[in-house]
Amino acid sequence: MKLDRRFLLRGSCQGALAVMGLPFLDCFLDSKGKALAATGRPLPTRFNTFFFGCGLTKQLWIPKVGGKDYEMTVQLKPLEKFRSKLNVFSGLRVPLDDNPNYQHWSGVAAAATGISPTKQSEFDSKSIDQQIADVISHGARFKSVSASAAGDPKQSYSSLGGANTLPAEASPLSLYTRLFGPGFQDPTKGDWKPDPQALIQQSVLSAVADNRKRVMQNLGAADRARMDQYFTSVREAELQMIAQQQRPEIQAKVTIPDAPAEAVCNNALPNLRAVVPMMAKLGALALATDQTRVFNLSVSEPGSQIFMPGDSLGYHQSTHEEPIDPVLGYQPRVAQYNVDTMELFAMLLKELDGIPEGDGTILDHSLVFAFTDQSFAKIHAVDGLPIFVAGGASGRMKAGFHVAGDSSPVSRVGLTIQKAMGVSLDVWGKGSMEVRQPYTDLLA
Amino acid sequence: MRSFAASLLSLTLLSGAMIAGAEAASSSQVVSMRRLTQAEYRNSIADVFGKEIEIRGSFEPTIRVGGLQAASTAVLSVTPVGFESFTNMADSIAVQVTGEKYRSKLACAPKDTKEADDACTGQILSHYGRLLYRRPLGKDELKTAVNLSRDLAKKQKDFYAGLRYGLASLLQAPDFVFRMETAVPAGNKQWALDPYSRATRLSYLMWNSSPDAQLLEAAEKGELNTAAGLGKQVDRLMASPRLDSGMRAFFTDMLQLDTFDTVSKDSILYPKWSSGIAASAREETLRTAIDLALHENGDMRDLMTTRKTFLNRNLAADYQLPFQFKGDWVPYEFAPDSGRSGILTQASMLTMFSHPGRSSPTKRGVAVMDIFLCEPTPAPPANVDFSVVNDVNGALKTVRERLMAHATNSTCASCHNHSDPIGLSLEGFDTIAQRRTAENGQLIDLSASIQGKKFVGSDGLGKFLHDNPKYTSCLARKAYAYSRGENSEDVPAAAFKTANKAFTDSGFRMRAMLKAMVEDKDYFSAPAPTPETKNGATKVAAQ
Repeated sequence: MKLDRRFLLRGSCQGALAVMGLPFLDCFLDSKGKALAATGRPLPTRFNTFFFGCGLTKQLWIPKVGGKDYEMTVQLKPLEKFRSKLNVFSGLRVPLDDNPNYQHWSGVAAAATGISPTKQSEFDSKSIDQQIADVISHGARFKSVSASAAGDPKQSYSSLGGANTLPAEASPLSLYTRLFGPGFQDPTKGDWKPDPQALIQQSVLSAVADNRKRVMQNLGAADRARMDQYFTSVREAELQMIAQQQRPEIQAKVTIPDAPAEAVCNNALPNLRAVVPMMAKLGALALATDQTRVFNLSVSEPGSQIFMPGDSLGYHQSTHEEPIDPVLGYQPRVAQYNVDTMELFAMLLKELDGIPEGDGTILDHSLVFAFTDQSFAKIHAVDGLPIFVAGGASGRMKAGFHVAGDSSPVSRVGLTIQKAMGVSLDVWGKGSMEVRQPYTDLLA
Repeated sequence: MRSFAASLLSLTLLSGAMIAGAEAASSSQVVSMRRLTQAEYRNSIADVFGKEIEIRGSFEPTIRVGGLQAASTAVLSVTPVGFESFTNMADSIAVQVTGEKYRSKLACAPKDTKEADDACTGQILSHYGRLLYRRPLGKDELKTAVNLSRDLAKKQKDFYAGLRYGLASLLQAPDFVFRMETAVPAGNKQWALDPYSRATRLSYLMWNSSPDAQLLEAAEKGELNTAAGLGKQVDRLMASPRLDSGMRAFFTDMLQLDTFDTVSKDSILYPKWSSGIAASAREETLRTAIDLALHENGDMRDLMTTRKTFLNRNLAADYQLPFQFKGDWVPYEFAPDSGRSGILTQASMLTMFSHPGRSSPTKRGVAVMDIFLCEPTPAPPANVDFSVVNDVNGALKTVRERLMAHATNSTCASCHNHSDPIGLSLEGFDTIAQRRTAENGQLIDLSASIQGKKFVGSDGLGKFLHDNPKYTSCLARKAYAYSRGENSEDVPAAAFKTANKAFTDSGFRMRAMLKAMVEDKDYFSAPAPTPETKNGATKVAAQ
């Protein structure tokens, strides 16, 4: 890892030196430039994903030049405010090797696992957010939380592998209830105390887990794996109860709002515009109060069924059926939907960047991985998949770049992200997407 | 009051018989493990503890495998998010059951409510445990739960608090949230389901709930292993009005009515559409299917052609009919010239398989092929230009013309020639199932030709399916796969031959098919464990 003076100045490591009086080397190794909580312990770096279907329009989103001084394109315009905290990746390859191009799926799986999928709608490994959660979520109440703004619990790209998708909360109210409903002890309040119930529930869970050996007997191989997953889930519930007995260390000054009203959650764009900020805000608050360190938000399924009322085709049908305008050279209605989804992405960034915390914002202490299913949805193309990474990972990630078409496999972004998130790994992805070289220039 | 020791003793004796449980482990094999669906869970809790128990929580979604969600319950596990919900629901149910209002229903009361009472706890937990696990609890299983109750009762100086947690531990155990089917040797190197697994499969199929006391008793006595005993229980289950619940669950799954959960319509183009209509449309189809299959014991082919249905105010508005009836739901018969033909033209099927703002002959055709003919359509090739299909301002005015244009491409044609005629014959109905004769000012042509047979409109499609043996055989195949949690595409025709024959011989009566299916000599047989699975089991046991 390259260490320069600027990094030291920018990171809060210096704060640690001053406050904690740690020897320089200890500080560097232990805190890695992270912001510190009031107790002096580093705040965790959080991870988010943002999923949007149907990609973007090549002519309208890819800047002509790479590096820091790229020009703002029409489709990146909604993200302009976050330019200095955003990396844009163009020209990434998605080699599928011997597997078919599963429409509206191969790209999703490649981005999220670095593996060309062997089945429609199934991941061949844990998704990246779960791989990261395994490392960073210890001590948080929820290992990860997912939300679907379109109101479909199946619109989650957070997976334990195979068909075992972690369902998404499908309305702002259900997201709120899970995060801040029963069982939530508000760490922003002075009178925080552990819930005595958590301790008791922990012993119940431990009794349930005691049956493991007996239950695992006499199962066939596939069912044994499923039962193993069940007991892993029991274990996670136990960890949740343990986490609830410790006051989360937080630095952001936030207050938990009252529960939101029921909202209509579906694919209609006006509803999404109302729901995305609500969910993004709740997610940001959950990160700020350390209820979770991994938050996933999706605005559509792959093959986005988003529609503007009055447009009888909608987004996905338009990508396939709208003719390419001979003068413009692209599909104008599709292009509008592309911009609409970038606006939804900007709403998430706005909420994450809107909560100050230590030397920056939640966004500065996070990474946000935004990905999609197709590069050119009209023909289900995957090469050139648009990928964005926002946030500074508490100083571990440099931002503000357009990483222009170097034909790296898309998995190189996943590897880089995990390096920035502190996951210890040297290689990520499989087959032609197996990569060993992260974007070292981006890693601070 | 029986003593705790006595109940333990009787359990031990029972498990000496061929029941599933910890003690029978060496010569048994779990052959199927199905995660309870939301409806199965809710019905089971209502049957075990009573309808007054409130269940609040979310359930993990299922997926469709071979056209059925039931098949996915045998491959999906419980994720941490799903378990979090199970554990919360378990505690909330246990709180209610041990609450003051409910206590009088419990089998015993403690000597002192401020103290632990193992005997009473054991009695209560073995009673509910047997109903929840659908078999008697093993000795260790009961002991674990009783110990937990005792520890927590002592700590809190409250018998019922302790009982709450012991009960909650059973309610979130894998033995409850999964329906386990256990096979035992059945002689001649054959394996078959043990009696409790038979009871469980029958009960969830027929009533969509856990076995009741009578069925468990029949299992305990070994009656389900004799043709006469089995027949008696099957007749009892089928004579009950609760058969409606079982078959509603089947038709909901087979007709993919859960699709409604994510259907939205364009509020500008179709302002009339509402969630009320959606819920009513789903109910209309279920009422039609249940009435024909169970109440009328009718010919299931008529599901494709009947003009008889059930309407409420919401649906009357959608179908553009005056609603001058009293009450909520009323039987109704569409006029002969209405173009309505069975459930094919009901609001459910027509709206589920359409886009928010327009009908989709392809979606409808693909759905009909998959649901009624068991012919799933492969995914279209990845690199296809569909632009011509859309250009409504161009020369091609109707969907038919646009579809025909792109079906001239040979790679597309192989599938579209299959599904499109079906969908095109339904074009007389828009995306919210209202009748229409023109699209973009052009008269709609409803003629279709499939497998050399020509027909016109929904009536023609209804008759085509009514007379197609593939439809009735598909129904039998799906019922068989549904009841066993298998992928319908992988089920060999021989497996449901008896059911299909009884179906045909009876003039396509659902009841006759069901009875023949579950009474078939091979229905409860299971594959012998392979050495691989046995080795694996040993390894786990040795850990």
